[in-house]
Amino acid sequence: MTEVGMRRSSLSTMAFTSVLLFICSTYSCYAQAPLLMWTSEGSNMPHLAQPTAGQTVSGGQLASYLKSALSIAPHSMLLFLQDQLSMEDFTMYGGVFGNKQDSAFLNVESALQTSSNPLVLPALDWSASHSILELLQGELGIPAVQIDPSTLKEIKLNTAQPSLLAVHLPYTAGDQTKELLLKNDAIMGEVLDMFKSLDVPYTAVYTGLKPSRVIEDTPVMAGHSVGRSLLQAPPESPVKPPLVVNNTAGQPCILLWADTLLASYSGNQVDLARDIFNGSADVTAGSVCNETLSRLVLNYRNVLNFRSLRLIFSMRKIFFPVSARDWSVMEQVVLEYDGQRAIFNASGGIYSPAEYSFHCQSVSSAQSPLLVPRSATDNATMWTLSFTDFQIQGFSVTGEDFSYASDCAGFFTPGIWMGLLTSLLMVFILTYGLHMIMQVRTMDRFDDPKGPAISVPQSE
Amino acid sequence: MLVEWMMNGHAILYTGVTLAFWATILIVGICYTIFDLGFRFDVAWFLTETSPFMWANLGIGLAISLSVVGAAWGIYVTGSSIIGGGVKAPRIKTKNLVSIIFCEAVAIYGIIMAIVISNLAENFTGTTPETIGEKNYQAGYSMFGAGLTVGFSNLFCGICVGIVGSGAALADAQNASLFVKILIVEIFGSAIGLFGVIVAILQASRLGDIAKKNFNDIMFHIVRYR
Repeated sequence: MTEVGMRRSSLSTMAFTSVLLFICSTYSCYAQAPLLMWTSEGSNMPHLAQPTAGQTVSGGQLASYLKSALSIAPHSMLLFLQDQLSMEDFTMYGGVFGNKQDSAFLNVESALQTSSNPLVLPALDWSASHSILELLQGELGIPAVQIDPSTLKEIKLNTAQPSLLAVHLPYTAGDQTKELLLKNDAIMGEVLDMFKSLDVPYTAVYTGLKPSRVIEDTPVMAGHSVGRSLLQAPPESPVKPPLVVNNTAGQPCILLWADTLLASYSGNQVDLARDIFNGSADVTAGSVCNETLSRLVLNYRNVLNFRSLRLIFSMRKIFFPVSARDWSVMEQVVLEYDGQRAIFNASGGIYSPAEYSFHCQSVSSAQSPLLVPRSATDNATMWTLSFTDFQIQGFSVTGEDFSYASDCAGFFTPGIWMGLLTSLLMVFILTYGLHMIMQVRTMDRFDDPKGPAISVPQSE
Repeated sequence: MLVEWMMNGHAILYTGVTLAFWATILIVGICYTIFDLGFRFDVAWFLTETSPFMWANLGIGLAISLSVVGAAWGIYVTGSSIIGGGVKAPRIKTKNLVSIIFCEAVAIYGIIMAIVISNLAENFTGTTPETIGEKNYQAGYSMFGAGLTVGFSNLFCGICVGIVGSGAALADAQNASLFVKILIVEIFGSAIGLFGVIVAILQASRLGDIAKKNFNDIMFHIVRYR
């Protein structure tokens, strides 16, 4: 009877297995089946270390578990092998939400409770659970005997020798799952009661050949993660290192970094920062740096309908006696395009102490301009430059990192200062006035409440 | 006596505010020094980035308001003395009004200067220190200086005239012949207000040609960008 049943379900089994194999080969699969092992009441089972949460127990680990268990546990093994079993079945049908009476595993639960040191493997690799029969046969050294509940009563056990009885329990997913599980539980209860009545110590294992539910892990694509994560999302583009210009001795002497370097000419705009941070040396050909002058030259080809375009930052190190320190002042920003030059003066706003780098969120010739055309007739009036997140260091460069960045934005803006000045002045005036008014006192030196009242003469 | 002075609520408030102010200054200064950020303390930046309009209008406002404070203080002092003395000697009422008029003159100087200075304030084109130009900065600071000059001079002149006038009224109430002599003192007091006005006019007079230049600049811009 068992063979017929096996043949009927063999096709669906093979289909399921092949699908499972396919899925688990292309994606990482959490295909696990739980395994419960317990002994009859009164028998001992060694205290085995439960697996850590989330750990998938492999076939090798299961073998070692069985070996250590069978060293003490009775050698009459009962294997309840369900077609499919997953932890989700216990969750759904195990009455775990306070509804113990609806549980479909009452006999299993009571068996586990009466046993000492039951072993619960919540996640056993499905390949191991698939081959549990062979594993047990190997451990005990005897072939398994497939039994049916109906044939149970005819079994005669020789307790002196190890024995392995396998009970096959069906499983179908769907509406009838609960009834099926209840039936399986009843079968298990019958078998266990029978063994108890025979007073035979046994070791029981309840597991599934395959998991009934397979959680497919969605493939993790590079850069995208499905669902929420507490970790910071990876940045879209990796942070680019600054552009480094080496001097003749091979030491870095100019550093530049910018988010965008937008240049607009007669309606067309180009971002000159796009490809220059990948470390090629041709971009900065023509750059010069010495003790007092640093000139960074960026070369471009075929942008904005020009054959060649050069963007030149020229900085000078000047000693100002009032502050008694060296300052790095960007004198000009020059655009050379096809033989013409557009010159912007930048000394008004782009300066920093020579030991530090200069950083400005927006260096522009349009809004609150730091770059102004050299004269009203210069070609620069036809250009609009806008650099965002701009940082440059022309002197005191040691290594490929910027020094402390002296920012173009101070703590207080001029507007804040003006407001503070006038409002503090008015507050001071108010305080002074209040103080004076509160000090006004009536003259009471000559008050004499008991003396005669003052008399005012009627006539002039 | 110090304890009694401290018990005064005003004193506690002023001490607290002063302490807070100086503590802030001290801590900010120490932090700037430790982190080698002293270069960010830039007075020139403050003077060139703040708008000349602010300075000009502060000057105009202070010109009139400080003058009025002086006048008011003086009238308050003189007025209460005249009224008090006039109770016992009503004949002083009419004669001593001249002290009040001396005090009032101070306020008039103030408002005249405020009108003169505000008439000299012109629009200018330019947003950065370079484009605003030195002339406009000079104009802003000159107006501020002129306003402050006339304001403070009139403030102290008014107080002075007031206190002297109060003395004159009370002396007059005692002895009518004293009034004329004390009036001379008052005249000297009033002259110092006039000195302030003269200096302020001198400071503001330079702005006439700057105003002309600004006018030309604005017209040029209008014509060019029309």
